[in-house]
Parts: sequence; C-alpha cells; structure tokens
Amino acid sequence: MRLHPALIALAATLVLPRAALANDSDLQVLAPYVRLAPPGTANTAAFMIVSNTGRSDRKLLKADSPVARRVELHSHVNDQGVMRMRQVTEIVIKAGGQSELKPGGYHVMLLDLRQPLKEGESVPLTLSFDDGFSKQIDAPVRRPQTVMATDPAAQHGSMPH
Amino acid sequence: MKAHWLLTTAVAALSALLVFLVACWQPVPPPAATTAAHSMPSPATSPPGGDFSLQGPQGTVALADFRGKVVLIYFGYTSCPDVCPTSLALLAQALSGLDAAEREQVQGIFVSLDPDRDSPAVLAQYAPFFHPAIVGLRGTPTQIATLAGQYGVSYRKQQANAEGQYTVDHSSETYLVNRHGKLSTRLPHASPASEILAAIRQQLAPRDSR
Repeated sequence: MRLHPALIALAATLVLPRAALANDSDLQVLAPYVRLAPPGTANTAAFMIVSNTGRSDRKLLKADSPVARRVELHSHVNDQGVMRMRQVTEIVIKAGGQSELKPGGYHVMLLDLRQPLKEGESVPLTLSFDDGFSKQIDAPVRRPQTVMATDPAAQHGSMPH
Repeated sequence: MKAHWLLTTAVAALSALLVFLVACWQPVPPPAATTAAHSMPSPATSPPGGDFSLQGPQGTVALADFRGKVVLIYFGYTSCPDVCPTSLALLAQALSGLDAAEREQVQGIFVSLDPDRDSPAVLAQYAPFFHPAIVGLRGTPTQIATLAGQYGVSYRKQQANAEGQYTVDHSSETYLVNRHGKLSTRLPHASPASEILAAIRQQLAPRDSR
C-alpha cells in the first residue's frame, strides 16, 4: 500500500484549512456531569451543554471514555408515549448557539461500565467533532436529584388546598 | 448504435434512481414502520389497571397490600440508561415533597419490564436508590405482559448487540392508583415533580375516602 505524495498533499489541503478555521476556543463545554448509576447497574449517561461561539455550525460526532466499554451518542424519540432510544450519528451545535445534552434528550450513553462509578469521581470524556477537532473534559459523577429543587415556601403557596 | 441505446437507457435508469432516492430515501425508517410491535394495546386507549401480585425483595407483593394508600407505579428496567432514572428521580422528588404523615400513606412501585436481567436482588437495590418508599418488583414474562396490558404499557425489547446487551423501548407514564386500588391518573412522561406531588395530594385529600 503506497500513497502517492500528490494524494497526501491533496488530503492535507482538504483537511488543514477547515481545522484552521474551526478554532478550539469556539467550542465550550459547560456543566458536564455523569449521572451516578444505581447500584447493581452498568449503564448510565453523561450530560452537558456544548456552546459554539464560532461562525460555522459544528457537529459532535463521537464521545469516548475509558470508564465504559461502549460510548454512544443517543437521543430519545417520544413516539406516542413510548420512549424510543436511538443512537445518533451527530449532534449539531449551531454557529453562535448551544446544544444541551440533558436527561430525556440528547445524551452521551456510557454502556457497560468497567467498574461502578462513585459519587464525586471525575470521568474523563473525549468529544470528537466533525472537523477533526477533539476536546477533553472531566465530568464529575453526580447523584440524580431526588429532592424537590424549588423553594419550599413557593411550592407550598402554589399547592391547592 | 446499440451501444448508444444501452447508454441512454442506463443514464435514464440511473437518473430515475437518483430522483427516487432524493425524494423517498430515509436513512432511518419512519417510526410507524418500527412501531408495529407485538399485540400492544395503544397507549391512547383507557386501560383498566387493577390488582396484581409480583415478586418483591422479600416475597410476594400485591397491589392489594397497599389498600388505603395512594400508589404510584412506574414500568421500566434497571439497565435503562436515561429514561427510567430520569422518571424515577422525578417521582422521588415528588415523594420527598410530602410531609412525614403524607408519606406514610403513599407507596411507589417500580415494575421491571426486563425480567430476564432484573433479578429481585438487583431490583431490591435499584428502586430504593431513588427513594426508600419505592419497591422494585419482578414477574415472569407472562405476568409482566398481562400486567402491561392491564395498565396500557407498551414495551419492546430491542435487538441485542454483539455482547448480548439490549435496550427496551417502553412507554414512560407514571400510574397513580387511589386508596381503593383503582387506576385514577396517568401522569405523562417527564411530568414535573410538582405535578406528580399535586396529583398525589389530590388523592390524599379526604374527600370520598375514610
């Protein structure tokens, strides 16, 4: 298998300008976290907000993590009340916009965890984007929120009696 | 001459194919095609609900055991990476919003739609992780199919991957059963905790009971 130098040069010209255009600092990952998996279970998900301050749309194509045997990008389709979870090939982050990966929506699925995660532990994630750019982040493991978030006083006030 | 005719035909055929692909090809089959699952009652019809008894962490648990209490039932599976934890966390939030006296009159039930993988031991750890007032129950595949029909739950095991792992598509409503054991409210997927709490309190209100 030999590659003609001209072919390599062509490939380089195709890849380099795009990589140069899409700047590292254009993409920001905010508030990432991994939901603590219930005991005895080996699947969970990571959530975050990805914002794009650049002038072109970006696509998240892949996520990787050493903590799980399989990492996939997923979404849910609510089909007449039936939640159908499906792998997606990309999550678009619009130019000047942001995409939220949140419970019940887009998420990074961590399947078949190599070992149980602990609350507070930091999970390394590598996010790969369409222009070949990849970003490393650390997402803390958080227990799902099981206590009412709202102000108790306001909550009580809104309750019909 | 013949070659020319062949070329023209080929071009026409390819053009037609291209037009067809642009117009009709969908990389993902439309949901309608994949929904044609085995005898599932449509979630839109009104299910009767009703009694059942299943395997709990310490022996049989029956819905009738909780007469006099308001019961919330959620159907899911413990390998569920997102939908079930999200729903159970919301249910747990609602339960945590009750005061101690109210909480004594409320019971949560998590019914596994994946009896092959969810053992009573797994369920015994799983359900209380969200809230101690939620008990995890398991039944035989036949019992679960019957119960799902009773409550209007749709579920379908998806194809396993190379490692034998699979997910289960399922409806994600929370069923509220009143003090008399009757299915009274179906809370849609992702109902906010405040709405679940309000629905529980509505049933707790001493109107017709006592």
